[in-house]
Amino acid sequence: MSTASTPPAAREETEETPSPARPRTDRYDASSITVLSGLEAVRQNPGMYIGSTDLAGLHHLVYELVDNAIDESQAGYCQRISVTLWADGSCAVEDDGRGIPVDLHPLEGRPACEVVLTKLHAGGKFKRQSYQYTAGLHGVGLSCLNALSEWLVLEVWRDGFHYRQPYAAGQVAGELAKIGPSDRRGTRITFRPDPRIFGAGLALSAPTLVSRLRELSFLNPGLHIRLLDQGSGEEREFQYDSGIAGFLRHLNQDAKVLHPQPLALRLAQPGVDIEVVMQWTAGYGENILSYVNSINTVHGGTHLSGLKNALTRTVNRYASEIGILKAENGEHISTFDILEGLTAVLSVRMETPSFEGQTKTRVTNPELKTMIDEGVSGALLAALRADSRLAAQVVARALDASRARLAARRASERIRIQSVDTRVSKEVYQRQFGIRSQNWHQSAVWIANHALLAEHVQHLPSGHYPRMLDVCCGSGVVGASFKGRVGTTFGLDLTPEMIALARTRLDHLSQGTVYQLPFRDNTFDLVVNREVLHLLPNPERPVDEIFRVLKPGGLFIVGQILPFGPEDAAWMYRVFKKKQPLIFNMFQEDDFRELLLGAGLVDLTMSEYRLWESIDVWIDTHETTNLHRHEIRELFYQAPQEVREVHPFEILPTGEIRDLWRWCVFSARKP
Amino acid sequence: MDALHGLPTHEKLKQAFRLEAGTVQRYLYFARIADIEGFPDVAQTFRNLAESGICNAQGNLDFLKRVGDPDTDLPIGETDLNLTAAISATILEQTESYPLMAKVAKEEGLLDIANWFETMTRTKKVHEQKLKKALAQLAAVRQEEPK
Repeated sequence: MSTASTPPAAREETEETPSPARPRTDRYDASSITVLSGLEAVRQNPGMYIGSTDLAGLHHLVYELVDNAIDESQAGYCQRISVTLWADGSCAVEDDGRGIPVDLHPLEGRPACEVVLTKLHAGGKFKRQSYQYTAGLHGVGLSCLNALSEWLVLEVWRDGFHYRQPYAAGQVAGELAKIGPSDRRGTRITFRPDPRIFGAGLALSAPTLVSRLRELSFLNPGLHIRLLDQGSGEEREFQYDSGIAGFLRHLNQDAKVLHPQPLALRLAQPGVDIEVVMQWTAGYGENILSYVNSINTVHGGTHLSGLKNALTRTVNRYASEIGILKAENGEHISTFDILEGLTAVLSVRMETPSFEGQTKTRVTNPELKTMIDEGVSGALLAALRADSRLAAQVVARALDASRARLAARRASERIRIQSVDTRVSKEVYQRQFGIRSQNWHQSAVWIANHALLAEHVQHLPSGHYPRMLDVCCGSGVVGASFKGRVGTTFGLDLTPEMIALARTRLDHLSQGTVYQLPFRDNTFDLVVNREVLHLLPNPERPVDEIFRVLKPGGLFIVGQILPFGPEDAAWMYRVFKKKQPLIFNMFQEDDFRELLLGAGLVDLTMSEYRLWESIDVWIDTHETTNLHRHEIRELFYQAPQEVREVHPFEILPTGEIRDLWRWCVFSARKP
Repeated sequence: MDALHGLPTHEKLKQAFRLEAGTVQRYLYFARIADIEGFPDVAQTFRNLAESGICNAQGNLDFLKRVGDPDTDLPIGETDLNLTAAISATILEQTESYPLMAKVAKEEGLLDIANWFETMTRTKKVHEQKLKKALAQLAAVRQEEPK
């Protein structure tokens, strides 16, 4: 992508004469200096205004415009919003609202739209009469977007005319021009994010925008939103009348739900309107989305605390009412257990939201907490009392989670005791991996990723390999990827569930432990293994066993996720240990080489394969507690600079975390 | 040498520093959990107190600066001294403290914890290199300064 481009003088309306975009030099007075210094501050410290200058910040520019259009829609003047991504990296957002005012601003003596686009803290949202509920950034927004754009073209259709004004890096690049008569109404802003601020490599992504636009159309029933990607030619349209109830159905479309009818509540007070829908699923993760005036409050706030409080109080109260829980004996179901498997959408519309930070990811109004806590508690208790079947399901789900959490804690205590004599508790592993087998292939992207499997296979030189063993084979995908290159395929795993999964892929399966392989010396021409050794205390012993069962000249091919260096190893240790308490080693590259060479293997080679993995999928399993899931996310959000420098990961504007995994595939030969 | 050096109060200052530094970390850890559990007010209380803890911990360093680094007893104060003391501390940690911790954990069969301590050893090696680089850069800047 080129780093410079020019504004589209006339992209659709070819009859118009392009106005030359040249810096304005005729007006230079005290007032212009104020404008420059204000917007220069934005350019110098963009993070303060849009959160960051990474992908999230880049998309925030688009959301800023869309949010303004949403405000127009919430005020009742806009029915259609259209977002267009152009191939040169620019983006246009258009609405059919009232159009930004173009008449002269009484104090500034300039067109009002120019004031809005060039002055911080100018806009129509400071006086309540224009907008009741607003999402936009209260005036910092448009001028801030303008300042961070290489160029920007404003078009307004209003009062029977079509107006246009060009800008460059936040400054006026031409007077507001009356292009011609028009009976349309609305605003279109086309802008190109400044590559000097965002870096030339970053580009707006249609899939990222899709999820936000879909969310907005659910939150604003009836509103029509269109996304056109000129690069791919793809066009998406969103219009839902079902509101957040439909949003919840969309979120839970692939989930196994616990009760068919979601719980839906509405609370209204003057100036505040709250809607909540909730449904428990058989999943492990909690998925609660919260919004204030359509802004996704990714970091929650008082509204979310109110909801969590209400759920905890009410489920506990109901469970003791019906005698399942002995509250007087101190029995209590924790918030974590109640939230496990819950999908919920909480949408607040209010006149005076207060937020922490400019990008508004956390709401702080204290009255929201009380209102939601009390309102939801009352309504939920009534709903539970009225529907004993639903109530029993909700309470049983929470109790299950609570018991599972205690069992997991006991399991990790048990493994600790067992590990004193360095023997693995088979029972603990069997429980962990046995349960996990249910959705094995969905539990992480890497498991069935073809390119990663091929990375293993390419370590096998052509030759004759009559017998192959996939050790700790899981579902057998690694071993199966060698089919056609080897003779008979054997698999070994500890759990009957995994063996059942692998049976469709491998020829012969045995149940057993890698500490004591149930095979004679010198049996196999090839042994393969992936992402297991870090789970085993004293990993030298299993590697010795693998060495023993290999024929002289036989090959061991093993894949392992490794940190990028010592800089991210401790951080990765914490992430992995929270995901999977049974981890014993966070190998670094030289540790792993030493492990293989120490067993007597020779001719060591290694290749790397980088794979993006969504953390959300990976941590959504029974072995990760709800607290740990949150803590893992926090570890990413708060990752130290030293880690960020070596370990790529990205936090999407939706809050989803994608981590780049460094897969290392080693092969070594028994002499 | 400052009169404080070697007195029981010197030891107490080191102890107070560790207490406060530990308090800060515990409170920040607790605040995160409170946030996750949905108690932002409690989280804020922990964060506010952690902020005070930082101030208090550094108050101890104000005194300790007169007699030396609490970890290495090397002189601290100016940046080159601080870097030197920090480098020594990372060396001490990677050659003595963490290897010993790993050994104990291994003997007790707590192999995941032993691996954690070993990971720390490696981290400290990287930190030592980074601090040494900073010290070299500082020396280069000093040389350019007109005497």
